[in-house]
This record gives sequence, C-alpha cells and structure tokens, in this order.
Amino acid sequence: MPSFVSENLLVLLIAVPFLGILAVVLARRDQWARYLAMASSLVSLALSLALWQAFDPTVPGMQFVQRTAWMPTFNVEFAVGLDGLSMLLVLLTTILTPLSVLASWSSITTKVKAYLSLILLVEGAMLLVFTAMDAFLFFMLWEVTMVPMYFMIVVWGGPKRIAAGLKFVLYSLTGSLLLLVGLLGLHLQAGDTFDIQAMAAATIDEDAQHWIFLALFLGFAIKLPMVPFHSWLPDAHSEAPTAGSVILAGILLKMGGYGFLRFCLPILPEVSAIYSKYILWASIVAILYGGCLALAQSDLKKLIAYSSISHMGFVTLGIFAFNEEGIQGSILQMFTHGVTTGALFLAAGLLYDRTHDRQIASYGGLHRPMPRFAVFFCIFCVASFALPGTANFMGEFLVLVGTSYGSLLMVVLSMGGIVLAAGYMLWTFQRVVLGRPASSVAASLPDMTPREIATLLPLAVIVFVVGVFPAPLVETMAATVAQIVERAGNVALLAVPGG
Amino acid sequence: MLPYALIPGLPLAAFLFLALAGGSISDRAHRIGIPAVGGSFVLSVAGLVRVALHGPLEITVYELLQVGGLRIEVGLWLDQLAAVVLVMVTGVSFIVHVYSARYMIGDPRYRRFFALIGLFTGAMALLVLSNNLLVTYMCWELMGICSYLLISHWAGRLPAARAATKSFLVNAVADVGLGFGVVLAFATYGTLDIREILAQAASMSGETVSLLGLEIGRNTLITLCLLSGAMGKSAQLPMHVWLPYAMEAPTPVSALIHAATMVNAGPFLLIRLSPLVMLAPSAMVAIAVVGAATALYGALVSLTQSDIKRLLAYSTISQIGFMVFACGVGAFTAAVFHLVAHGFLKGFLFLSTGNALWQAGHGHGPAMDGRSGSRRLAMGALVLACIPPLLLFAGPYEQLWTAQHSEGARAAFWCIALLAVFTTASYTYRAVQRLFSPRVGGAAPQLFAVNKIPAVALMTLGAAALMLPLWSRFTEFLGPAVGQGGPPPRATGISTALSVAVATALAGWFLAHARNRRPAANPVGQRRWAMRLYVLFLNQLYIDELHRASVVRPLLRMAAWLRDHVEEIFLEQVLLRAGVVRLALRLSDGMRRSVEGAVVEGAIQGLARFAVGVSGWEYRILDLRGVDSAVERATQAARASGRELQRREPRTVRSNLLIAVCGLVLVIGLAYWWIAA
Repeated sequence: MPSFVSENLLVLLIAVPFLGILAVVLARRDQWARYLAMASSLVSLALSLALWQAFDPTVPGMQFVQRTAWMPTFNVEFAVGLDGLSMLLVLLTTILTPLSVLASWSSITTKVKAYLSLILLVEGAMLLVFTAMDAFLFFMLWEVTMVPMYFMIVVWGGPKRIAAGLKFVLYSLTGSLLLLVGLLGLHLQAGDTFDIQAMAAATIDEDAQHWIFLALFLGFAIKLPMVPFHSWLPDAHSEAPTAGSVILAGILLKMGGYGFLRFCLPILPEVSAIYSKYILWASIVAILYGGCLALAQSDLKKLIAYSSISHMGFVTLGIFAFNEEGIQGSILQMFTHGVTTGALFLAAGLLYDRTHDRQIASYGGLHRPMPRFAVFFCIFCVASFALPGTANFMGEFLVLVGTSYGSLLMVVLSMGGIVLAAGYMLWTFQRVVLGRPASSVAASLPDMTPREIATLLPLAVIVFVVGVFPAPLVETMAATVAQIVERAGNVALLAVPGG
Repeated sequence: MLPYALIPGLPLAAFLFLALAGGSISDRAHRIGIPAVGGSFVLSVAGLVRVALHGPLEITVYELLQVGGLRIEVGLWLDQLAAVVLVMVTGVSFIVHVYSARYMIGDPRYRRFFALIGLFTGAMALLVLSNNLLVTYMCWELMGICSYLLISHWAGRLPAARAATKSFLVNAVADVGLGFGVVLAFATYGTLDIREILAQAASMSGETVSLLGLEIGRNTLITLCLLSGAMGKSAQLPMHVWLPYAMEAPTPVSALIHAATMVNAGPFLLIRLSPLVMLAPSAMVAIAVVGAATALYGALVSLTQSDIKRLLAYSTISQIGFMVFACGVGAFTAAVFHLVAHGFLKGFLFLSTGNALWQAGHGHGPAMDGRSGSRRLAMGALVLACIPPLLLFAGPYEQLWTAQHSEGARAAFWCIALLAVFTTASYTYRAVQRLFSPRVGGAAPQLFAVNKIPAVALMTLGAAALMLPLWSRFTEFLGPAVGQGGPPPRATGISTALSVAVATALAGWFLAHARNRRPAANPVGQRRWAMRLYVLFLNQLYIDELHRASVVRPLLRMAAWLRDHVEEIFLEQVLLRAGVVRLALRLSDGMRRSVEGAVVEGAIQGLARFAVGVSGWEYRILDLRGVDSAVERATQAARASGRELQRREPRTVRSNLLIAVCGLVLVIGLAYWWIAA
C-alpha cells in the first residue's frame, strides 16, 4: 500500500526500530537476531532516505507532522515532525545504525540479542528525540537513550567499564535533571504547554529566561560535551564496545547541539545572545584544550574521544555565532563529525578485535600486513582534521566564516585547533600505520575482511561525496536555519562581541 | 569550452581510476597515468595558443556551496598567466611520469605511486586554473596531503614517515595564515571570486581591521596571510625546514615537488593576486625581505651541503626565494619567467640526480676529486648560474630596482641580491660538477644513463624557457593577467644593472671553478671563524633544532601537563566535587526566585540532593574504593530517594516527572543485576 506508507513515513520510521527490537528478542538463534537487526536498521535507512526524497527544502517549518493526544490532562502530546535540522540528524542516525550492527557482527558473542536490541533501542529513541515536537516527549526519549548506552558500556565494555559506565550515568543524570528543571520552567512560563513551537511563540519573563537558559544550557553542554563538563566522555568512549563508541560519538553527542538549536536559540534568543560571548570563548577553549589533550593520549580510542571534544567546540562556536554560515556549518559539522568519528571508532574497533589492545604504541607498520586498513584509516584521519575535499572541511570552513563576523581573533585561535588536529591525527597515523611494526603480533595482523570493508566503505564514500558536493545537505537545512537566524538574529547582533 | 576543463580533469580522472581499480592493474598503472597527463599537456599548449589568439577564457563547472551570502562556484579562469604556468606544470609532470615508469619499476606500490602523482598534478593544475579563493585553498591543501603520502611512499622507513608528518605539519601551521586570509577576504569583499576580489581591492584600500588591538589595512593583512601560506608551501624562511626532509620521497616525486607543483604554488598565488598585493606596499616589503633572506640563506647553506639531494633542496629554497623576492619588488612577470625556467631546469637536475643515484646506489655525492669535469658540463653550469641575474636584472625590471622607496632599502636589496647571485653561481657549479664528474674509483657515469630522453627533453625545454625574458613581447603578453608596479617597462637591452649582475654570477662561477681545480683537504681552510661559519651553515643555522625546541617540545610538554594535572586533578576531582554541587544549589536558588510557584521546588530539591550524591559517589569511584559497592549503594540510594519523594510530595503532575527520572535510576540498577548477573 504505497499511499499508506508514503503518508505515514515518519511514524513508520520511528516504529521500525521498536518492531525490530521485538523481532530480535523473539529470534531463536543469535545469527537470526543479527540478520533481523540488520534488516530493521536497513529498513529505517531506506525510510529515512525516502523521507529525504520527499522532504521539501523550501519549507522552513516542520513537515510530515503527526499529532496524537498522549496525556491530555497534562497537555502532553505525541507530536513528531521533521525540519531541515532534524532531517540531517535523522539521516545520520539511520546511516550509522546499520554500520554499528555490522561492526558487532562477530565481535559480540555474549548476549547477542540483548546487545542488538539495545542498539535498536538507541536508534528508536534518537529518532524520536530528533523529531519530537513536544518537550515532554523530547525529554522522555532523551532519558531513554542513556539507558542502553549505560548497559552497552557496563556489560560489553573494556576493563574499566563499570567506573566508566557509572560516570556516564552520573553526568548524564545531572544533565537531564538540569534539563528537566529548564523544561519545566519553560512549561510554566509559556503557559502550561509542552509544545515546542508554542514555547517559541510565547513571551517569557526576562529574569526567568536567564535561569531557564542556564539550566537548559548546562543540560545540553554536558551531553555535547563542552569543557569543563566533558570528563565523562573519554572514559565512556574508550571503554564502550565498538558499536557503543560509534553511537555515542556519532549520534548521541549531537543531541546537545540539537538541543541548542531547538530550544536555546529559537525560544530564548535574547538570553542566548547575552551569553553567547562566554560560550564562544568556552568553545575556543574546548577546541584547543581537546586538541592538546588528544595530542597527549597514548590510547587510540581515548585520542579519538578527545578529538571529539575539540570538534564539538566548532559546533558550539558556529551555533552561537548567530548567523546562517555559522549555524549551517555547525549542523554540517555535526553530520560529518558523526560520519568520520564513527568511522575512526570502527577502525579502532577492528584493530581492537584483532589484538585486544588499544595502545597506539603496540601497533606500527600496519601498511604492510593491512594495506586496505591503511587506506581507510588514512581517509578518516585526514577527514578528521578537515582536509579540504573531505566532508568535514565544509562544516569547519562555514563555522569559521560565521565566526569571522564577530571576531577575527577567534577565527585564528580556532584554526589553531585544526593544526592541532592535523598534528595528533597524522602523528597517530604515523605511529599506527607507517614505520616498522612494534611487535610480531602487529606484523602479522590479518587485513580487513569483506564485512569490515562493507562497514567502512559507505562512510568513506560519504566523506568524499559530501566534501565535493555539499550542496544537497546544505540545501536541506537552508530554510530552517534561515528561520532560526531570522528569529534570533536581530536581538543577537547586539550582543555578539565586536571586533 | 569544456575541453580545457580536462587539463586538471584528466590527471584527476587517472587518479580516481587508479585508486578504485583493483590490484590487477598494478604493473600497468603508468599506461593510465602517462596518457592522461600527456593529454593535459597537449591541452595546455592548445590553451596557451587559444589565449594568445583570442584572449582569456572562463569556464564554470558547478556550484559548490550557497550559504547565506557565501556562494562558491568551482570555475576555471584560463588567462595568460595560467596558460603559461600550466604548460610548465603539465610538461614537467608529463616527463616525470614517463621517467617514473622506468624508475619505479618493480616497486610494490607502483599503482599507488601513479595514482598520487596524477592527483598531485591535477591539484596543481586546478590551483593554477581556479577562479575562486576557496577552491585554490582546497587544491593547496590537497597538494599538501599528496606530498605527505608521496614522501611516505617507502612507508617502512621511519625517517620517511617522520619526514612526511613533519612536512605536512609545517605546512599546516603556515596554512592557518592562508585559511585565515580566505575567511578575511570573504569578510572584506563579500565574495571569494578572485576576479571580483581584484576588482574590489582598490576600493578597500582605506579599510582597516583591528586584530589584537592593532589597526591593520585589510588589503595588507590579506596579503600577509597569502605570504604566510606561500612561506609554508614554497619553503621560505623560517618555514623551509620541511623541504630538505621531503627528499625521503622517491626522486621523481622530488622533481615533481621542486619543479612542477608544490613549491611553485606560493609565488603563483602572489602573482595571481598581484593587483591586490600591489595595493599593500608594507606587505610587499615583508614579501621582499622574506624572499631575499631565503634566497641568500638557501644559497649559503647549499654551498656547504655534501648530500647532493640536500644541496638541490636548498638550491630550490634559494631559487623560490628569488621568485618571492621578485614579487616583493613588484617584478611579477620576472617571477613568472623565473618560475617557468626554474621548473624545467630543476626538473632536469633532479631526473639527472635520479640517474646518478641509480648508478651510485647511495644518496651521497662523492668527495671532490682533482679531475675536472668535461668542458661541456662547466658550460652547462654557467648557463644555470646566469638564470637568476638574467631574470631579475633584465632590462624591463631594472627600473624596479632603482625605484625602491628609500636609499637604504635599495642598497640593502642590491647587496643581498648580488650576494645571492654570487653564491648561487658557485653552488650551481658545484652541483653540476658533482652530478656528472667522474667518480672516485669508478667509471665516469654516462650523463643520462638510466632514462636519457626525459632529462634531455627537460634540458631542451629549460633552455627554451631561458629565451623568454629576452623576448620583450612576453611581458606584454602577460601584462593583462599580472599586476604591474612602478613605471611602465621599457625595451629590453643590456643595461648597467644587468651587466653588474651577470658579472657577479660569472665571478661566482669562476671562483667555484678555480676551487675545483685546486681542491683543498678542508673546504674552508684553518681559520677559526671560517670553520665556525661553515659548521653553522652546514647545520642550516640550526633552524630545525630551534623549531623543535621552541614549538614542538613545549607543545607536547604542555599537552602532557594538561593531561596529568588539569584533566586528572582539577576536572575530575575539584570541579566535580565542589563545582557541581555549588552550581546546582545556585541554580536552584535562582530558579526558585524567578520561576514562580513551588512547583519546581521538588525538582530543585531532588537536583540538589542528587548533585551532592553524585559528587560523593564520584569521589569514591575515583579513589577506586570498591567500585562495585558504589554501584550497589547508588541503586539503593536511588530507590530510597524515590520512596522519600513519594512520601513527601503528593502525587502531583510535576512530582510524577521527577519520579520518572528517579525511576530510571531504579530501572538501571535492577536491569544491571539482571543482565550482568
């Protein structure tokens, strides 16, 4: 029934992962569960591509809107919809999920069904977070994403998994509570509604705005994470199993940036503009601090994790630059960072599968035993430091252009982050792939299997295609971003630091 | 006119094909690469003819980006400048391709090699043709990564790997300048189209921008940014350290880097934006100073080097210094001449070096012996030694030299330039002498033993290029594409300046020749200061060590310090234990005051209590005192707080929300035991 499908694309997209969980749980053998999880995530991908096809980039507001009363007494609705911002993050989520499933194909051997259903649960929850039009729904699913991540870390993680998992939960819960307080404040101020669009339209008391903004900001900043709220991230990323790291770094962090763009900027533009000066400087600190710490790491996954902190600095830098270039750059950066960092974690994961060793110093000279790996790793390393021609460059360049309206000094400083990134990435590449192997184990590692190639190849293609043809992605979000800027722009100009 | 888009297109297509083709093609990779680059060479020549007959040509390929006011189109702009440089780039690259087919034979990474030199050539060609600053920047960086991958071609060699990383990083630092320049150019002119920028530049002369409290003219700052990029890519002092290391690459790659691509990009960029550069006199002084210092430094260092490839590397540094210097004094056409002529001749020298090294089997030139080389070689050296003076002091530019702003500056420029010409002549003689003179205890190598034809072809082209500056119409031809400084050029002729310069070069050549006939055991004799000076230049003034001590090591040390002290102690313990609690309390206090009603009260109390708990638990975890018991206690505490809340508050809407959160903790706890146990 094509008409039914085409009319309910978004709801179907959201429902598929949950149906997938059901199928996976009911599967009798682990292998079947793998195929079912794969099938479900591929269906999601197909649906999100169909949505993207049907998406009208000229409409700034929500499309494919579906509303149902959920808890009418509390004014809570089950309302979902897509705009340009959501569209890209939905695409990112559905692209990375099948690859995560594929990456855990043979590396996860215990409690396979539980693991796969957790992956699908995160996917479903993330899709709802990115499409929710109701703040209560948003918050509920925001919380739900934390649970599967916690279990993925704690049950299938590395040697220090319990401490890492607990730290993740404690930070996340602190963040969520702040977020809850902020959302409740908004709910009251906006006149007893949880509808995000109604919140944006309401006038909110000046004094309350400050406190609501701070609560929301801290909630999102912990998730993103911004320095100094980041210390959960390196542990969680490095202890999580491969798929966990991919989802965590690739998709979950983007909830923070999404939150800024969905709540802070449209609903509280005046206060956002007031605080933007401090946030911009905090972003610069994050870019440089994350880069420096990545330079000092000896653990491959931790290095990638710290590089994420640095790259997320660009996201906040662009968002709080308050102009189209900056915000589009941030969204593009979120998308491309998801792709490249996801790919880097996949690459690190396939090394870990072979040796159960994350130390950079244990490798070396991999170009000889693993030539295919060398090629892929090289692609994602150079993409990670935003080499022009790869996807990440466009995002960072737009962010820099956006920042240049405010302060040229910030542009120069944040470019220092790109140099640092080139430094730690190429140095890592040199230590892992070039030179002579550090041990006989490293000298005789088997090269990538076809399944592993299938995991990384799509991401490599995206890296190059978006690097050379970013227009389709940029067009998708252009109208939405223009609307956000229009709404926030006038007030923002007053507060952006001059220079 | 789409065919001309194939000039960068063919090598790039060859790269794509070779990169995607499987291993089956590996031994025949040159059969893809050579015709592709050959084709683009033919097209370049056709383009030159087309431009000479019908004027410049614009080709729009596609729109890359359209965000807000920023619109980027990938377009090609084939004008006189681009056409001339393209012929040199594709010509040298073509010959290098032909040469490599033999030279690299049997290499396990034959296919990769050809794919990458194709990409390298394509990127340079696109950079030359690009009409958009962002596309220029992209090609610029693309060449950087190509050089990285080619320098680490023999990836098993640790020095090669280190050299590759080093050369990319030095360039990355310099490219911060260029990237900033691109952003600033957009901020200033509202476009990145090169021709629009040049058209608007004059009207922006008075505009200034404040950076770190300094008021700088926008045009000046952009020009300085361009210079910074050029200093990296073209190995100008003090960013030159990467080029000698880049010799770890196979010799054809060196030929490509030194002659056709990479290092030429810097002067090319300055020439391409010359109308803008002309508007920033103070930045031009900086360019001239950097160029002159580099020319002199490169020449002096190359006099002392014993490794033939290092000698050639410093000679390239010196020669590019001359080009940058020429840009700095406004002699842009002279820089183009020099760029083209140097490209061909350096290509010749490198391919010959490859031949010689192939025979010698090692990287060090032999010690000087008493026998002189053949007369023909000495004449070759003479021709090479005369390039810089011929190019820089030839008639049309004499006035530029005499028209410097101040007496002192003019004198300084003259001294530096003549000294550089003198030393250049000396070391060129030495280089040629070493390459082709008979070896100690061995048979005299044939001039073009391994791969004769390419080297001969380059020599011929180079000699032909030497004729260019003497052809006065060339200046007129390039005129429309290049900014002109000073009074209009006058007719070519032998002038005093030219005679002085050529005489200096001849003196340098003669000195080297005389030294060569009477070799001493010690190159500088017994004098102490001379020996010190010799050692100083032998070690390249220790600039490399200076970089390491002043930038690299402090940075790594700071990173380690941040990791061990700030991250571990400050963030993990102090901030979390004290900061989060205080923050939560402050926030809840503020909330209570501004958001009316007791509704959020419950949430706030929960938050504060929770935050206290968080820091307590975290403290215990970090102390690594019984992690598992902490988990247990956490679950118990969550359960208890849930009950507590229920008891205290009536079951209102809002407390339900809170309980939902606390319930999650509970669920986590329970499920943890279920899954883990």
